[in-house]
Amino acid sequence: MMVKLDPVTLEVIRNALPAVANEMAADLQRTSYNMMIYEVRDFCTALTDAEGRLISQNVGGVSHFVADIGVVIEDGVAKYGRDGFSPDDVIITNHQRVAGQHLNNIVIYMPFIYEGDLLGFAVTRAHWIDVGGMSTGFGAGPTVTDPWLEGLQIDQLRIYEGGRLNETLHQIIKDNIRYPESSLGDLRSQAAACKLAIRRMQELMDRYGRETVLASIDTIFRETEQKCRNVVSTIADGVYAAESVYDDDSVDIDQPIEIKVKVTVEKGHMTIDLSGCSTERRGAVNARTLAGARVAYKALTAPQEPVNEGSFTALDIVIPEGNVMMARYPAPMSSWSLIVPTVVDTIIKALSPAMPHVIPAAHHGLLGGSIVFFGNHPETGKSFIVQSIEGGGWGGRPMEDGESGSVSVCQGDVRNAPIEKIEMQNPVLVESRGFRTDSGGAGKNRGGLGLDVRVQNLVPGKWNLSRPKRVKTPPWGLWGGKPGGGANFLLCLPGENDFKVVDSVMRPVPAETRVIVRTGGGGGWGDPFERAPERVLSDVREGLVTVEAAEREYGVVLDAPGTGIDRARTEELRRKRREGEAA
Amino acid sequence: MTVLAVDIGGTFTDLMAYDPGDNRIVQAKSLTTPDDLVRGVLDCVDKSGIPAARVASLIHGSTIAINTLIERKGAKAALVVTEGTRDVYAIGRGNRPEAYNLLFRRARPLVARRDTFEAHERMMAGGEVRTPLDDAEIARLTEALTRGGFESVAVCFLHAYANPEHEQKLGAALNQALPGCYVSLSHEIMREYREYERTSTTAVNAYIGPRVGGYVRNLETGLAGVGFAGELSIMQSNGGVMAPSVAVRRPVTMMESGPVGGIIAAAEVGRRLGHPNAISFDMGGTTAKASLIGDGQVTMAEGYYVGGYASGDPVMAPVADIVEVGAGGGSIAWLDEVGALKVGPHSAGADPGPIAYRLGGAEPTITDANVVLGRIGADDFLGGEMKLDAESARAGIARLGDKLHMSAEETARAIVSIAIAKMSLAVRQVSVERGFDPREFALVASGGAGPLHASAIARELHVPTVIIPCFPAHFSALGMLIAEERHDFVRTYLARLGEVDFATIGMICEEMIAEAGLVVRKEAAAVPQLSFDLRYVGQEFSLPVPVSQEQIAAADRGAIRAEFDRLHEQRYAHRADDEEVEIINIRLSMLGSRALPSLPKPEADQGAHHYSARPVLFDGEAPVANCPVYRRDALTPGADIAGPALIQEYASTAVLFPGDRCRLGDGGELVITVGATR
Repeated sequence: MMVKLDPVTLEVIRNALPAVANEMAADLQRTSYNMMIYEVRDFCTALTDAEGRLISQNVGGVSHFVADIGVVIEDGVAKYGRDGFSPDDVIITNHQRVAGQHLNNIVIYMPFIYEGDLLGFAVTRAHWIDVGGMSTGFGAGPTVTDPWLEGLQIDQLRIYEGGRLNETLHQIIKDNIRYPESSLGDLRSQAAACKLAIRRMQELMDRYGRETVLASIDTIFRETEQKCRNVVSTIADGVYAAESVYDDDSVDIDQPIEIKVKVTVEKGHMTIDLSGCSTERRGAVNARTLAGARVAYKALTAPQEPVNEGSFTALDIVIPEGNVMMARYPAPMSSWSLIVPTVVDTIIKALSPAMPHVIPAAHHGLLGGSIVFFGNHPETGKSFIVQSIEGGGWGGRPMEDGESGSVSVCQGDVRNAPIEKIEMQNPVLVESRGFRTDSGGAGKNRGGLGLDVRVQNLVPGKWNLSRPKRVKTPPWGLWGGKPGGGANFLLCLPGENDFKVVDSVMRPVPAETRVIVRTGGGGGWGDPFERAPERVLSDVREGLVTVEAAEREYGVVLDAPGTGIDRARTEELRRKRREGEAA
Repeated sequence: MTVLAVDIGGTFTDLMAYDPGDNRIVQAKSLTTPDDLVRGVLDCVDKSGIPAARVASLIHGSTIAINTLIERKGAKAALVVTEGTRDVYAIGRGNRPEAYNLLFRRARPLVARRDTFEAHERMMAGGEVRTPLDDAEIARLTEALTRGGFESVAVCFLHAYANPEHEQKLGAALNQALPGCYVSLSHEIMREYREYERTSTTAVNAYIGPRVGGYVRNLETGLAGVGFAGELSIMQSNGGVMAPSVAVRRPVTMMESGPVGGIIAAAEVGRRLGHPNAISFDMGGTTAKASLIGDGQVTMAEGYYVGGYASGDPVMAPVADIVEVGAGGGSIAWLDEVGALKVGPHSAGADPGPIAYRLGGAEPTITDANVVLGRIGADDFLGGEMKLDAESARAGIARLGDKLHMSAEETARAIVSIAIAKMSLAVRQVSVERGFDPREFALVASGGAGPLHASAIARELHVPTVIIPCFPAHFSALGMLIAEERHDFVRTYLARLGEVDFATIGMICEEMIAEAGLVVRKEAAAVPQLSFDLRYVGQEFSLPVPVSQEQIAAADRGAIRAEFDRLHEQRYAHRADDEEVEIINIRLSMLGSRALPSLPKPEADQGAHHYSARPVLFDGEAPVANCPVYRRDALTPGADIAGPALIQEYASTAVLFPGDRCRLGDGGELVITVGATR
C-alpha cells in the first residue's frame, strides 16, 4: 500500500522509534537485580517487524548485540506461525542452535499485535548472572566442552501464555539456577520493558495510523542504508585483507585461532568475508554470530546514528557453516564473544589503507580484565559475587594518543565496579587500580595504557581467571607504531612470595589470596621517532613512560631525573637508530 | 525595602527587582562582561535606577562556576588519594558511552597525574581503620604539597563517607601548613560511596574554588562599595540559595545556578494557580529545557555530567533535573545527506542570528519559520525596536523548501513541527518516561521562544493547560527573587530495612541536621526534610523515599516500605512485595526560610485594549486571515480570549491555536486551556 509521507511525520517517527528502545533500556537497567545489566549493560532492547527486521535498538550497551536479534525472531515465527501468538505472550529463549551465544544471554520477547495483526516484536536480550551449569558470573569459561556443562538450554518457550505465568517452566528455571531471585527479577524486568514498548508502539500507531508508521519505517531503512553507502563510496573499490590470531581455545592450546578477513568494496557496497577464519573449535570460543562484521561496519559508516535494519543492508557478510564464527550446535559456545573484538579490530585494520584518517591502531582487544570472585561468606552464610570489567588501552589514532583503561570495541557504556561498592558488598580488599607504565605501544601518537588491578580476598572462595589470549598477536601498531599489550592474570597464595600466572575457572582459594588483573595497552600510531620530544618528556613526568623506555622506544634522551630533554643526544640517537633500521 | 535578583547568562545579565513599598517590578538587562563579571552586575544594578542602599536582599545566579570548569580556567590543583588509587580519577568507570565511536574521548582529569599524591592510609567500608594515617605521613604529604606550590588541594580517601577521620586529620594539617591554599575534603562535598564520582566532584570543587571564591568576595566588596548593606545570597543548582561564605566553600553547588531560577518560578506560578503539578518548559535561543515539578517540588537529580555524559565531568551535587534539547529560536533548519529535513542542534545564536535579524545570518532558523508563519510580527519584535526582515526570512525558507518541493509556508510549518516534536520528546522524557501522566500537569512556558510553541507541545502530549507567566523572558531572575534557602546533604549507609537499627539511623540524621545547622543562615527557622534512598536487595539504582523524623523515631519500617513499593510501581509499573528492601543513602534537605516577596499584580492599562490583526498560518491549509493580535500589557485579569490569536509582549509572543482559550489569571498570567488534539 502506498502512503504519502510528509517530512514532518517521518521525522517525528524517526525520533520516536529509537526513543522507545531507549526507554525500554532505561527501565530495564534501573530495575534490574543484576550488575551485568545495570553496570555492565550486557543487554539490548529492540523493536523488530514481524519478519525480525530491526526497527530500532537502544544505544550505549554491549556493541555486539547489534547482530543476531532477527534470527531469533524468525525462528520463533517459524515455530509458532504468524497466527500463533497471542497478546501478552512472553517468550523466553537462549537455544544455541539459533542464538549462537553463551546461554547466559536470555532473550525475552513479546509479540506486537495491532488490530488483530502481528506487526512486530519487542525484544530484550540480557545476560543473566547464572543459568545453571558452570555459567556463574560472566559465563562459563572456554574450557566447557559441551553446552550441557554450561547450563539450561531454553528453546522458544512461553513463560507467560496470554499474560498467565507458566508455573512449570518458571519452577524448572528457578530450581536449576544459582541466584534465582536475581535472574527471575531480571525476567520480570525484561517482560516489563517489552510491555512498555508495545504500549508505546500502540500509541504511535493510534496517533499516526498504522500504514503511515509502517511506510515511515521502510523509508527510514532506505535512508539509513543510503547514508552508509555514501560513506563506503568514499573508499576506493578493491579488496582489502588483514589477519591476526587469537592464541588458543583453552583446550587445544597449541593451535592458534586464525582470523583472516577479506573486505571487498564495490561502488558503495561492502562484503566482509570471514571464510578464512578457523573452523569450529573444541574449546568454547565458538559462536554463531554476525556481530564482528556488523560492529566494524557500523563503526566505520555511521557510529553516532541510531541502529536499524538499514544500517546493514549495504553489507554482505560471508561466513560458511562450521566456521568458528558460524558454529553448529552442539559446538560449545560459552565463551562466544571472546574473539569478537579481535575480529572487529582485524576488519578495521584491513581498511586502514583505505580510510587512514579515521582508523586507530589496535586496542587491547579483550572483553575484560574481568574480576570474578564468588562464594559464601563464612560468617553469614550469604552468597556473594564480585564482578567488574576493567578496561585496557586503545590504539593511538591519527590526531592524538589512544585512550587508556577503556572497555573493548564490543562494549560501549560498560562500567567497572567502584572499589567502594565492591568492598561494601563483598569480603575483599581492592588494593589498587592503576595504569601500567610503559604498557601503551610507542608511536607518534602513543597507545593508551592498560591497567593493573590488585584484589585480595578476605574469605575463602573461587576465582575465575581465564588467561587473556592476545599474546601471539599483541595489539598492533599502525604506520610504524609499536604494539601494546601484556594482559595477564596472576595469583599469589597466602604464605607465597611471588605472583604466578594463572589460567583457571572456579579456582578455589583460601582467604588472603591476592590476585592481579592486568589488561593490555593499545598499539602506537605512526613512527615513535616522530613524536615530539616534549610529548615524550611530558609522558615521563606523568609517569606513563619510564626514562628507559623514552630512550629505548622513542629515542629521546632525558636529563638524569627526567626533567629536561638532552636535545643533542636525542637527535644523535634518533639519527643513528634510523640509519641502523635503514641498514 | 527592595529585593533584587541578578542572573548572569551567556549573553545578557538580567535583573529583576521588587519593591513592596511602591509595589513595582523593575527589570534591567545589560551585556554580560566576561572579563569582569562583577562590573557587569554593578552596571546592571546601576541601570535599574535602584539605589543599592535601598536593597535589603540581593540574590545572584552566575555562570562563573560552570564556565570556569568548561573553559578549564581553574586553579593549579593537587589531589590526595588513598594508596593504590592514584589513577582512579583518570580511569573513571572505563566506559565508552559512544559505543561505535572509534575516536571517542574520555573525560580529562582536572589534576595532572604528577600532581596526584597517594597517602599511606586505608579505611574499610564499615568505617574501621585498616591502615592509620600517621603524623609522619601527614608531614611527608604537607611538605610535598608545599613544594608543589598549589593554589588548591582536593582530598578523596576511600570510604571517607563511612569514616571521614583521615580526611579531617589531613585537612586540618593542610590548613595549618598551607595558609591561603584552598582545601576541599570529599566527605564535606559529597558523603556518598563511589570513589570516582566523589573524586571528580571534589576535584571540580577544588579546581573552581579559588576563582569562584574570589569572585564572590569581590562581589561582596563591589556591592559594599556602591552602598549595598543588605543580605547577599548565591543561587545553587538545587534551586535554593546560600550565604556567600557557603558558596566560597562549596562552589560546586553553583553549577546550574542560572537555569534553575526559572524552574522555581514555574513551581511558584503553578502553585498559585492551583497547578502544583507542572512541567517547566524554557525555550531560549539555542536550547529548550524541560523539568518536572511534582506537588510543588522541583524534581532533583543526584548530579549530572558537565559537558555531557559521554565525555563530561561528573558532578554529584543535587541539581534540578533538566532535560535539554538543541532546539531554540536560533536553531538552524537543514537537509541531511539523504534529504531528510532536520532542525538543530546547530544554532545561529544571537550572532549572526536568524536571517530575519539582519545581522548576517544566512541559514533559516526556527525564528525565521515563525516569521513566515506570521506568528512573530516583523514590525513588533522587541516592542518594535527591532524591525525584522520578513522578506529575506521567507526567501531563506523558500530556498530550503525548493529542495523538498514544498512552498515556503509548508516548509516553515514543517520546521516548527519538527522542533515541536523534538521538544515534546524532552517534555516526554521528564514526564511519561518517569511514570507521570502529562494529562495531570500544566505546562509553564518561559524563555523568549517558549510562549510561541507551548500550546503546540501541550497538544502533542495531551497536556490540558498552558501557563505563560509574566516576564517569561526574565523568568530565571524572577525565580531567584522567590528562592528559599536550601542545603542538601547525603550519607551512604548500607543496611537492610528489615534489620536496620533505627537508633543508629536516628543518630546519623541528628548528626546531619547539626552539620546543616552550621551552613544555614537562621538555624532555628530551618526545616529538615529527610529521605532514604531505597531499593530491592540486588538492585543498584534506588529511589528516594521521603521519611519523617517521627517515622524514624518509631522505627516505622512498614510505612516506609509501603511508600517505596508504591513509588517503584508508579515509576516502573511493577513492584516486588516479597523482596527485601535495603537503604543505601540517607538524604537531608535543610530548608531555610527567607522573607519572600509576594509579587505584585500587574497594572492594567485600562483604557487601551489595543489589538491589530494579521494573517497567521496554523494547522489549516490557508492562513487565518485576520488573526487578532493582543498586547499583553493591555489585558486585565479575567480577560478571556479565544484562539486563534496572538498575545504579544516586549520580548515574546504567545500563540493560541484555534480551539485554545486563554484567561488572564489574577497575577496577570496567561492561562491557556488547550483545544482538542488533532
